[in-house]
Amino acid sequence: MKKFSVFAIFVLILASFAVQAQDTVSITIRCKANIEGGENWRCDNFAEVEEEVEADLGINLELNLIQDNKDWGDYKQEFVLASEAGEAPDIILSGHEDIGAWAPAGFILPLDDMLPNYPAFDDVVENLWESQSWNGQIWGVPQDAEARPIFYSKLLLSDLGWSDEEIASLPERVASGEFTFEDMLATAEQAVAEGVVEEGKGYYHRTGNGFDWLIYYYGMGGEVMNDAGEIVFDTDAALRTYELIGSFVQRGVTRPDMIGYDGATLSTEFSSAEQVLFHQGGTWNLADWGRNYVADRGGLDYLEENIGFMLFPAMSEGIPVTLTHPLSYMISSQSENPDVAMALIAAVTTPDANNRHAIDSFHLGILNAQIESDAYMNDPFISGAHYMLDYTTSAPNTPAWNAWSNAYWTGITAVHTGEATPQEAVDLAVAQLQNELPDVVIR
Amino acid sequence: MASQSNGGAVQAAPSDPTLNQRSRTRALAANLTAYSFLAPAGILVILFFFIPMLLVILMSTTNLATDNFTTNIAEWQYVGLRQYETLVNDPFASKVFFNTVFYVLCTLTFFNVTMALIVSLLTVHIPRRSGFFFRALWMLPRITTSAIYIMMWERILADVPFGILNWFNELLGQAPVNYASDYTWVFVIVVNGFIGVSFGMIIFTSAIESIPKDIMNASLVDGSTLIQRIRHIILPMLRWPLLFVITYQTLSLLTSFEQILLLTDGGPANRTEVWALAAYHRALSNYYGNTQWGYGAAFSVVLVVIGVVLAVVYMRVFRFNELVAEPKIEVL
Repeated sequence: MKKFSVFAIFVLILASFAVQAQDTVSITIRCKANIEGGENWRCDNFAEVEEEVEADLGINLELNLIQDNKDWGDYKQEFVLASEAGEAPDIILSGHEDIGAWAPAGFILPLDDMLPNYPAFDDVVENLWESQSWNGQIWGVPQDAEARPIFYSKLLLSDLGWSDEEIASLPERVASGEFTFEDMLATAEQAVAEGVVEEGKGYYHRTGNGFDWLIYYYGMGGEVMNDAGEIVFDTDAALRTYELIGSFVQRGVTRPDMIGYDGATLSTEFSSAEQVLFHQGGTWNLADWGRNYVADRGGLDYLEENIGFMLFPAMSEGIPVTLTHPLSYMISSQSENPDVAMALIAAVTTPDANNRHAIDSFHLGILNAQIESDAYMNDPFISGAHYMLDYTTSAPNTPAWNAWSNAYWTGITAVHTGEATPQEAVDLAVAQLQNELPDVVIR
Repeated sequence: MASQSNGGAVQAAPSDPTLNQRSRTRALAANLTAYSFLAPAGILVILFFFIPMLLVILMSTTNLATDNFTTNIAEWQYVGLRQYETLVNDPFASKVFFNTVFYVLCTLTFFNVTMALIVSLLTVHIPRRSGFFFRALWMLPRITTSAIYIMMWERILADVPFGILNWFNELLGQAPVNYASDYTWVFVIVVNGFIGVSFGMIIFTSAIESIPKDIMNASLVDGSTLIQRIRHIILPMLRWPLLFVITYQTLSLLTSFEQILLLTDGGPANRTEVWALAAYHRALSNYYGNTQWGYGAAFSVVLVVIGVVLAVVYMRVFRFNELVAEPKIEVL
């Protein structure tokens, strides 16, 4: 009898282990996040909803959250190599443009069949889904959105003789198309001429390659991919773009060494609101400036008082514009538990979870209910920038994006450094494009 | 007489099969011994140079990119020489090519050879301990971890309030200078050159110190000046080390890019993008992520070809065969 009891206990222990092992699901989530800039919720939100998902699915979750601020190129390559090695994380957070390369490579799963199972996704701002699609299917869930505005110094505009009303109404005048990009450059020129700012400090643009440069091309009426899915390079729009970019330095409003300029120095100069008049950046810059550059002056209160932001004023197309680059949660095709991964993504796609990220990192909301929430509405920067999503554009999801953007960038650098005229820069970009993308439509 | 008896032995060999067999066995054993000594190095070269090189050549004939990436060679999509055709017509590639020539020539000329020679000559003509000390100082850039070494340079070059040079400028009432952008090439060459000096310095120093003392003493007795000794004794005797340093450092500079990657990442505006870095950016890492492995491999293969051609040219210029020829007089 005693022997039997010992055996029964042994069997029960083994069985309990078996049940536990069967119900424990391990999910690895990889995020890129600037922790100092408040972006930790990209991964940390999953820890917040862990118990909720465990209860819903009746499983034990073992979450492995990995996040750092690795360089984008290395971060993306890590996922590609991990996928090829069979060690990809279940969920990867990356730029939506990666869908264009990772979907055809088979690294990520289409989500169309799973999305309807979760009502949370019905509340996602409709136009964000466009950036998650490739080949007629949805491959990612938006994690955040942002606007890339032009910041301006209220202090310096005031020094230039602008009234408080004129300064306060600037974003509206830009949105209505009344205040154009040419007006902005003329204002910057005037500021230089009158000694309000030093030469070259009228307008600071992005210092390296990136999505922001696309805004000028879009503002000039260009497109990267047509409705038929063909890659397009609009030479008229590109010429106007290169003429504009080349004029920044020629007019003395932008410093000649702006491309390659030190990021920390730029932030130091602009966030003080005392040195640079206009600066093209992203809403997330505010979090960084408030915490790391003007904390001793009052942080966000100082920024709210002295710095404003507006859309890119209208260029040749006559309408103001901005660009958003939503990051997306994608599920690896190697995930053994894609349903659990999807449930986790649905659980963090809620106003509470996304507000934690949006408010701490100054990104825009992705959910309609979130945008109407008190926490979101009470934040002057985020709620004040949200209207920009109505004017937003984004990069296309296509494997050709890399070659296109590199050719476009070659033209920008050539014209910015004065190595080429705008027309020569267009010719250079066209030559590079036709060489690498023989099917590109040049018009 | 000796040649006659030898000749006789050789002539006798074919008629004696046992002797012939023994001689062959002995020769085979001698060869096997030599090959067994060479084997470890040979295996390493085959494993880590020839096989990867063959793979890179193979990859350069494919359109492998992120959107069709696989490590299964059977699944690669072969496109013949299309990547090379693209490379030849790539306007960006010609810019990168001239960047590379400029970078290699300047770094090699000013630092890896000239500065290395100057440091060697100076440190062997001062008290021995002081010579060791200064040579040890010049080793620091080489033994410092690349990332830390570049971080130090970044802090040196940064704008106010972060940069050391600009801190001095401010102290002296001078306007701040954007060194990293306005003098990019200068600093790329200096940063790499400081590392490169130590290699030539060690080779040249040991070569100078191995020049027989009696030759130097004779020149002193003849009343030669230091400059004359350098011009007529030291430099002519450094031909072999010079060939080695120039060849090795040219190939090293052509293929190394980590300092440039960390300091400028090829920027600003692609101004410091060199060939090896372009291959890295194309095949392994760029901002937008969709890397082109096949095209990047074509960049790499061109680099291998350039390296081999340059090595052969250097050997011809420095008359390598004469340098390794058997001595005409047997010296005991």
